[in-house]
Amino acid sequence: MSEITLESIRGLLFERGYITDHSIEMALFLSLKLQKPLLIEGPAGVGKTEIAKVMTQILATELIRLQCYEGLDASQALYEWNYQRQLLHLKATEESGISVEEKEKGLFEEKFLLKRPLLKAIQSPQKCVLLIDEVDRADEEFESFLLEVLSDWQITIPEIGTIKATSIPQVIVTGNRVRELSEALRRRCLYLWIDYPDFEKELMIVRNHLPNIDAKLAEQICSFMQVLRVQKLEKTPGIAETLDWATALVTLHFSALDKNIIESTLGVILKDWKDIRSIQLSLSELLDKTGVNSKVDSI
Amino acid sequence: MIHRKTSLSENIVTFCRFLREHGFSISVQDETTALEALAYISYQNRLDFQTALAITLVKKVQQLEVFNRLFEDYWKELEKALDSKIKDGKSKSNRPIKSEEQAFNSLKSWLNGNRQNKEEQMAAYSPNESFGQKNFANIPSDEIAEMMTSIQTLSRTLARAIARREQATRARKQFHFSRTIRKNMRSGGELIELAFRKPKKNRLKLVLLCDVSKSMDLYSAFFIQFMYAFQKVYQKIETFIFSTQIARITNELNTNHFNEVKANFSEKINIWSGGTKIGQSLAQFNQDFGKRYVNNQTVVIILSDGWETGNPEILSDAMETLHKQAHKILWLNPLAGNPNFQANTVGMQAAMPYINHFAPVHNLESLKQLWKMI
Repeated sequence: MSEITLESIRGLLFERGYITDHSIEMALFLSLKLQKPLLIEGPAGVGKTEIAKVMTQILATELIRLQCYEGLDASQALYEWNYQRQLLHLKATEESGISVEEKEKGLFEEKFLLKRPLLKAIQSPQKCVLLIDEVDRADEEFESFLLEVLSDWQITIPEIGTIKATSIPQVIVTGNRVRELSEALRRRCLYLWIDYPDFEKELMIVRNHLPNIDAKLAEQICSFMQVLRVQKLEKTPGIAETLDWATALVTLHFSALDKNIIESTLGVILKDWKDIRSIQLSLSELLDKTGVNSKVDSI
Repeated sequence: MIHRKTSLSENIVTFCRFLREHGFSISVQDETTALEALAYISYQNRLDFQTALAITLVKKVQQLEVFNRLFEDYWKELEKALDSKIKDGKSKSNRPIKSEEQAFNSLKSWLNGNRQNKEEQMAAYSPNESFGQKNFANIPSDEIAEMMTSIQTLSRTLARAIARREQATRARKQFHFSRTIRKNMRSGGELIELAFRKPKKNRLKLVLLCDVSKSMDLYSAFFIQFMYAFQKVYQKIETFIFSTQIARITNELNTNHFNEVKANFSEKINIWSGGTKIGQSLAQFNQDFGKRYVNNQTVVIILSDGWETGNPEILSDAMETLHKQAHKILWLNPLAGNPNFQANTVGMQAAMPYINHFAPVHNLESLKQLWKMI
C-alpha cells in the first residue's frame, strides 16, 4: 500500500464514489496516521456507515461489522462456546477410552469457539476495518465493555488464555445520538460530525452516482432538498433519500421537476405521513423558494 | 513524543488551557494527540490546522461551533500580539484569554440585566409581584430527608420495567441451554444440573420537566426540594426547568449540599419566574434533548400548572411527540390539590389526551399520596 497523504485521500475516496469535504478527509487521515478510533456522529442518512466501507476498499482489507442493538452482550460481540458441538464431541469420544484430562483439553480448543466480530477483528492476520455501527443503541454496560477492548486490544478467554491483537484494527464507531455516549468513550476517539451536505456537495454526489442524470434535473433536486431540510420535519431526509429520489426520477425519464411530479413522488423522500401532508400543503411556496417553477417556464 | 519546546507546541498547550477555561474538558492525552496530529499536517495551511485541532480536541457536536469561534479569537489575538512584537511568550498567550473573559463577562452581565427587565414585564399578570427577585437562600432544607423517603417509595413503584437482557436464576423459569451444557461438561455432557434464566429487570429512566414560570412561584421552594430529593434518590434521572425556554439542570442538582444547589441555581436565574410557554419549551425539549434522553424506557414527569400563554396547538403537538417516544407521561399539577380545581386551562386541555397519569402535588403530604395512585 502506498503512503496515504492528506492530499491523496480525497482522490482515493472520490475514485470509490465517496464525495468528501475537508473535515472528513482530515478525520480519516488523522485516524489512519494516529491509529485512533474515529467516532462519527450525525443525522441519519448522511453516509456515516459508508465511510467505513470506502475505508476498507482503500486499505484493501476486510470489513468486520458489529451492529449494535439494545441488549447486545459479550456473547454476541466477542465469542461464545459452541456448546452443541462440544456435546457431540463428548458423546463421540465416550467409548474411545481417552482420559478425562485429555477430553477436557480437547473440549476447549479453538474449533469449538464461535467467533463474534470483536474477536474476529482482534485475530485478523492483517489490519482490518472494524465498524461498530450505531453504538448508542447498545446500553451503557456494553459501552464500558467495549472501552476495555478498545484500549487493550486483547481478550481473555478463561479456558484458552489471553489473545492479543496481531495488528490493531482501524476502528470506526458511528452514532445517531439516540443516547448520550459516555465521556470515556468520546475521550478515546477522534471526533467527526457529519451534517447534511450543502448544495454543491450534494450535487456532486448525485452526479457521481447517476452519471446519466440531466444536469438541470440534478440541480433542481438538490436545491429542493436544501429547502426541504430547513422545514420542520419529523424525519429529515438524508443523502440516501436524495439518491433514491434522483434514481426514481431518472428511471421515470423526467428531465425537470414540477409540482405534480414532486407531489406524486414525495413518498420517496419523506417517510412520515405528517411530513408528507405538511409539505404537500406548502409545496407551491417551497417551489418558489427553490426557483423550480421559473426554471421550468424558461425551458 | 513531541515535547520539544517549540513555540507552536507551547501555543497548543495554552490554547488547550484557553479551551478548558471555556468549559471544554481536555485531558493531557487529548493534548498529546493534538500535538501528534500536527506532525502529519502542514500547519502553514490555516484550514488544515484548525480542522486537525477540531478533530482531536472537540468531542461533541455542541462544542464544534464554540470551538471554531474560540479558535478564531485565540489566533487572531495571537497574531496581533506577534505583530506588535511583544517578545515575552507567556504574556502573549495570556492576553487573549483575559480579553476574551472580559468580553464574555460583560456580555453575560448585559444579557442578564436585559433578561431580568424583560421578565418583570412578561410576568405582569402574576398575582404576587413580591416574588420578582428570587432568593433561593430562603428555601429550607429540613424537609428534604422526609421528602427523600417518600420519593424512594415512589421510585420503587416507577422502576418496574423489564429489560431485554437476561440473567441466570435458580427459579424454574426459562431453560438456559448454553449454561446448562457448560455446567454439565464436567460430568461428560450428561445433563444432571439444569440452569434457568429470566428477564433482567431494568430501572426506568426518569425525565423531570419542571415549570418554573411566574405562576408557579408559590410552589417553587417545594419544587426545588422535590427536584433535588428526586435526583438524590433516583440514579437514572435527568432534570430540566422551563418557562419560555428549557434548560438542563441535572448537573446543577448533582451536589452533596443543598446549599450548593441554591448557589448553582442563581446562575440560571434568567429562566426562573419568566412567562410560560409550555408548548414552545416542550417542543424545544423534543428537538434538543428528546432523542437522547427519552425512549420507551423513560417516564416523563411534568410539573406544571398548565397555565399556557403560548399557542395551545404547539403544546398538543409537542405532547403528542413526547407521548410517542416515552413510556409514560405523568403530569403533576400543584393547583389540582384545590377541591375546586378543574383542568380547564387552555394548556391543560391541550395536553390532557397525551397524559397517562394526572395528579396533584403541592406539598409533602400530597407527594405521599401520589405513589398510591400510580
